[in-house]
Amino acid sequence: MEETRLVQATWDLSQCKFKISGDGMKVLLEGLREGVFRGIKCPQCGTVYVPGPTFCRKCFIDIDEVVQVSDEGEVETYTVELADVRGNPVEEPTISCMIKLDGADTWLIGVVEGIDWQKVHVGMRVKCVWKDASERTGSLSDYTRFVPIGD
Amino acid sequence: MASAQTRYASDIGMPRERMLFETVKGFYDSLGITRHDIGTFIFASNDFQDGRTISNVFADSPVGAYMKDETKVEADGSFAYLYGVMRILSGHYDTALIIAYGLGGSQFRPYLVMDYTMDPSFTRQVGIMNELVAAALQARAYMMKYGLTEEELAAVAAKGLRNAAANPVQLRGQANATASDVLKSRPLYSPLHEFHCYPPTDGCCVMLLASAKRARELTRKPIWVAGIGHDLDTYYLGEKDLAVSKSAQRAAAAAYKMAGLSDPAAEIGVAEISAPFAQQELILQEALGLFPEGSGSQVMGGGLSEIAGKLPVNPSGGALGAHAFCASGLQRIADAANQLRGEAGACQVKESKLAVAHGQDGFCAQQNMVTVLSS
Repeated sequence: MEETRLVQATWDLSQCKFKISGDGMKVLLEGLREGVFRGIKCPQCGTVYVPGPTFCRKCFIDIDEVVQVSDEGEVETYTVELADVRGNPVEEPTISCMIKLDGADTWLIGVVEGIDWQKVHVGMRVKCVWKDASERTGSLSDYTRFVPIGD
Repeated sequence: MASAQTRYASDIGMPRERMLFETVKGFYDSLGITRHDIGTFIFASNDFQDGRTISNVFADSPVGAYMKDETKVEADGSFAYLYGVMRILSGHYDTALIIAYGLGGSQFRPYLVMDYTMDPSFTRQVGIMNELVAAALQARAYMMKYGLTEEELAAVAAKGLRNAAANPVQLRGQANATASDVLKSRPLYSPLHEFHCYPPTDGCCVMLLASAKRARELTRKPIWVAGIGHDLDTYYLGEKDLAVSKSAQRAAAAAYKMAGLSDPAAEIGVAEISAPFAQQELILQEALGLFPEGSGSQVMGGGLSEIAGKLPVNPSGGALGAHAFCASGLQRIADAANQLRGEAGACQVKESKLAVAHGQDGFCAQQNMVTVLSS
């Protein structure tokens, strides 16, 4: 049988620089600093995107109408972290949800806390817990936590 | 077919999604069509440059492919064109939009992408090879075999710079460029200087392919795919004569056979060849049968491939003017089609009914695609 050898090699991808849509992200991040969720609405089909792109993927037109949506919404689907991504057991599981904020047509990913993981369910009403205004920096970490507010 | 291109740049200055949206939306508007007129979308892009795998999954909406038939080649745009032609010929699609883009100017270090295409079992371990080294070895091989001088090699690059200066979408051009300007540019790996090599480029090129019936509805000046061929040589540079390209010869032979050409050098009026390094224009124009083998000195000395020459090669300025990875080969096809339509502006050659365009991938043009276009 042919001998098989191993060689060490690396793929250096660290030099990659991404450009992202400043306009679309700015709407979301500036809202987060103020403690509100903002998205962009398509004037043609009425879809409210949160976070907002700068064009509507359905109508293929530029969009820039900023709309504020609620910081309360409904859990549309969820998962409980019973093992981490490498398969190791987890003592305090993270509950990751897709949440449809009232007034938005898209789902936002967020963590739900303050509830026994066995009681989480689809359709559960949740509300964002904001960092104190002085701690908010206009970054994605300003919003990630939600708590149940009763059905 | 019809096409649109960005103005190529070393830094396009916007997210790739915005670049694609603006280019494609402008293209649809110019043709009076919408995204719903497109039967299939075919991307040509590079995951390394995009910094994410299966990178087209983020680029579908910006080109109007939301909830549409979409696919991709991880290769030069000329291979996406080949794929598009096959999809049209299958009879399942009346239209195919080819979208080829690259961000080698601003998003990823130039030439690094090619480093990752090297064989890890030998070439990468030896550690001295990169895209520029390979191109320089190829340039020297041609010069030695056929007696091409440094000035003559520089003349190829100077022609590219002059033609690119007349082409408003190109990134790098210089009116009145001479061989001496090229030899004064920054030396890289000998015998290559900066102007012998492509400039790192951001940009995209999109092209609409259509069935004969649909093409006649969309335009009064359709350009037809008369022939197409592709071929792949061995990866390892030490197993082939670098001064010639057998795979380009074979690809061209297949394309000419399909187009019914018996004397391509006499029948073809203009050529757009993907040559990101100056010597490749000579090697490939010979492989495509446009000039005799080893004729580089003669062709450059006699100005035979100039815009006003016997058989103009790369009147657009070619890949020495802009080389957005993946977009580059599609750009050649688009430029050849514009020539046949008489819409090449200051780069326009004398009236012609037949053009040849070429795309390539890999070190020293390992893989080649040749297509014959007719008006």
